[in-house]
Amino acid sequence: METQSIAEISSPRSSVRKFRLPRMQELGLVVVIVVLGAILSTYGWYDARPGHPNTFLNKDNLIDGIATPMSYYAIMAVGQTFVIITAGIDISVGAIMAVSALGSAALLIRISPHYSTSTIIVLSVAMPLAIGLLCGLLNGLLIVALDLHPFIVTLGTMSIFRGLANVIPWDTLTNTLDPKTLVLPKATAPLMKYQIGGVNVIPGITMLICVILGGIYLRLMVAGRQVYAIGGNEQASRYSGLRVKWIKLWVYALSGLSAGVAGMVSLGRFGTASTSTGNTYELTVIAAAVVGGASLSGGRGTALGALLGTLVIAMIENGIYTLNLKQEYRLIIIGCAIVVAVSLDQISALINERRLARLGGRAS
Amino acid sequence: MIAFDSITKTFAGVTALNNVSLSIERGECHGLMGENGAGKSTLGKILAGIYSPDSGTVNIDGKSQSISSPRDAMRAGIGMVHQELAFCPDLTVAENLCMGIYPRKFGLFLDRKAMIAKAEKLLAQIDVSLDVCQCMRALSTAQEQLVQIAAAVGTNARILIFDEPTSSLSEPESQALFGLIERLRARGVTMIYVSHRMPEVFRLCDRISVLRDGKYVGTMTRAEATQDAIVRMMIGRSVTDYFPQHLDSSAGDVMLRVRNLTSPGKFNDVSFDIRRGEIVGFAGLVGAGRSEIATAIFGLDPSASGSIELNGKPLRLGSVRQAMSRGIGLVPEDRKRQGLVLGMSGRGNFSLASLDRLSRMGLLDFAEERRQAADYFDRLRVKTPSLEAPVAGLSGGNQQKIALAKWLGRGAKLLIVDEPTRGVDIGAKAAIHQIIDNLARQGVAIMLISSELPEVLNLSTRILVMREGRLVGEVPRAQATQERVVRLMANVAEATS
Repeated sequence: METQSIAEISSPRSSVRKFRLPRMQELGLVVVIVVLGAILSTYGWYDARPGHPNTFLNKDNLIDGIATPMSYYAIMAVGQTFVIITAGIDISVGAIMAVSALGSAALLIRISPHYSTSTIIVLSVAMPLAIGLLCGLLNGLLIVALDLHPFIVTLGTMSIFRGLANVIPWDTLTNTLDPKTLVLPKATAPLMKYQIGGVNVIPGITMLICVILGGIYLRLMVAGRQVYAIGGNEQASRYSGLRVKWIKLWVYALSGLSAGVAGMVSLGRFGTASTSTGNTYELTVIAAAVVGGASLSGGRGTALGALLGTLVIAMIENGIYTLNLKQEYRLIIIGCAIVVAVSLDQISALINERRLARLGGRAS
Repeated sequence: MIAFDSITKTFAGVTALNNVSLSIERGECHGLMGENGAGKSTLGKILAGIYSPDSGTVNIDGKSQSISSPRDAMRAGIGMVHQELAFCPDLTVAENLCMGIYPRKFGLFLDRKAMIAKAEKLLAQIDVSLDVCQCMRALSTAQEQLVQIAAAVGTNARILIFDEPTSSLSEPESQALFGLIERLRARGVTMIYVSHRMPEVFRLCDRISVLRDGKYVGTMTRAEATQDAIVRMMIGRSVTDYFPQHLDSSAGDVMLRVRNLTSPGKFNDVSFDIRRGEIVGFAGLVGAGRSEIATAIFGLDPSASGSIELNGKPLRLGSVRQAMSRGIGLVPEDRKRQGLVLGMSGRGNFSLASLDRLSRMGLLDFAEERRQAADYFDRLRVKTPSLEAPVAGLSGGNQQKIALAKWLGRGAKLLIVDEPTRGVDIGAKAAIHQIIDNLARQGVAIMLISSELPEVLNLSTRILVMREGRLVGEVPRAQATQERVVRLMANVAEATS
């Protein structure tokens, strides 16, 4: 046989064709959101008293009723998506949110008389973020250094962080306030309660910033690609020279950080935090990430998906209110929606596979 | 006895079987050959109920059978010995053997004694004796395979499908398997033997059918078949010698110097050199410690000690990143578990080892990534529906090419290739040999580990033989014969004449 150099072993017909799949998951969610929006708007128009705006489609409802309450979930869902892509899970985010909000509040109250307004504003942002990051680092450290299962580690730390949140007010407050509720110094108000047209926009804007940053990280950065690789096949990633342990540690730190951001938003919005801040949020956060296309077995998920997943849940929650349904049915409806969303995803994956098979059949 | 009638099956983007009709007679051992991706395993899996065909029927004894699950297949007397072994590693041999049909006490409790007795009886049926109370994890690959055969035979299978059964067996283990297959045939079991290893198919099978690109090409009896004829049917052209005419040993300076490398329980006091442009073949039985040395050089074995020098400068042990930055690449033994992220695109897999070079300030350079991936895929003739298609759907040969492309893209100076053609078809195999040979010509030092002796003998400039964790001999290419290497591998003294 004639010997050829590698460069010569190139086929004349290019076997690599260009061909991209639409992002099914996100497209599907957008469709669901549009349909839900259409239904709610129609009802909202029909339901509105004459001369009054649509009960669903109005600025106050869209921002105060949907964007703001969903912001905590969406912010944490982005962080959770990072963890889920690596085939992990972080159920301590609700507790981290509480401890970062409460810890910051406790500190801010004590130091507020001594510092200027601008310092306090900076601290009110930096403190909860730092606390969240530290909590996340602790999670990651336990999971990576001792090779423990993330579920059980974060189950433990969830309890620890929630416990800390219970303890903080008693220890740090000597006199001023109700021990279970802390009211922030007014100095934080100019930033955190910034309003446009009479509605508080900071939570929604923070949420969008988080989604965009998360999306850039996952889609455009090397570090993001490595997160997907680890979730897809940890061993192969190690064989490719990825620092698997560091990357995993960082992913849990980011999830903690996102909970810290949620804590900051909650603290700023209410000007206070309580021991029940973020209680059971972790369940909605995980559900939102999964509805948004993250796969619990790893390797799949996007930041935009996390946002859209949260939006679907938030719209249903809001719909229960605007459609005047009984609040008692809220949990059942949300639960059903989550199950249906995940089943639909599986079915659409099957259909997509069939479609590909047909395409392949024609191509060959 | 078994008649496949116009079977068609497609997977995401790829037609695996295209209108295949094929009949198999009672009591014969029927060889099913073809390149990887030709559809032979798929056909076996359809019979075993793992896949169901998109169209077409399977007739057994003249009756159309609908086999839509492994359970249906079991009921119809069909058993399959898989290429990738599937067991619960932490259960005992007996528990694995009786899985699904555990003997019960009072209909509710597990009858442990009966289970052990039954497991021993199943193994005795194929003349194997093993401690059935040990965990599956403790067994060698060959023993696992025997257990799997026992399980398949034990369901009173009249029809047995073997899917590349020797791909992870050493030579003596394969011989033992062949003996077993002959005994099963004598007992009247109909067998389908899927393989692309010519000698064993010729040894075992009464008739040989060939598939190519998912289509049925033809069937020959053993008497009328020749290796050349089969190869021609498999690849559609005649191949006289599919090994590249290899360069003589005009190697350059020492690239890799390994001294007293030891890892407890894996290998002991190993020293060797590899020169620039050399292909050093490592021969040995499975478990002789060859892959373990490869992972130690690549920095994946934290307990390794000894010294490694690359280009005259010492290499820190136990750091993959250092090994990579100094120009070492490893195409690992098990491409599905170690080599590739199966759910990721071909492009993503290609760039995984060189992300640092395909980025600026942490941001990926997508255009460059795509350009390089397309370039290397073209050069290596990777057949994939697109750069974005997940590699899970590709054939073994194409997957292996991507695993290689990953390191070619990085420009490795020392490339360790571990079983580069395991589970790869003849066409891709020749291409991979060509690639390895060309790399050596360009001055890359190559450490070649392979359990396939012809590959080691024909491709290497020098052959090192390992046995039980030690280097036991070195054979220059000119003096390398199969016999000499096998004797070293198995510790049999050379016949003195």
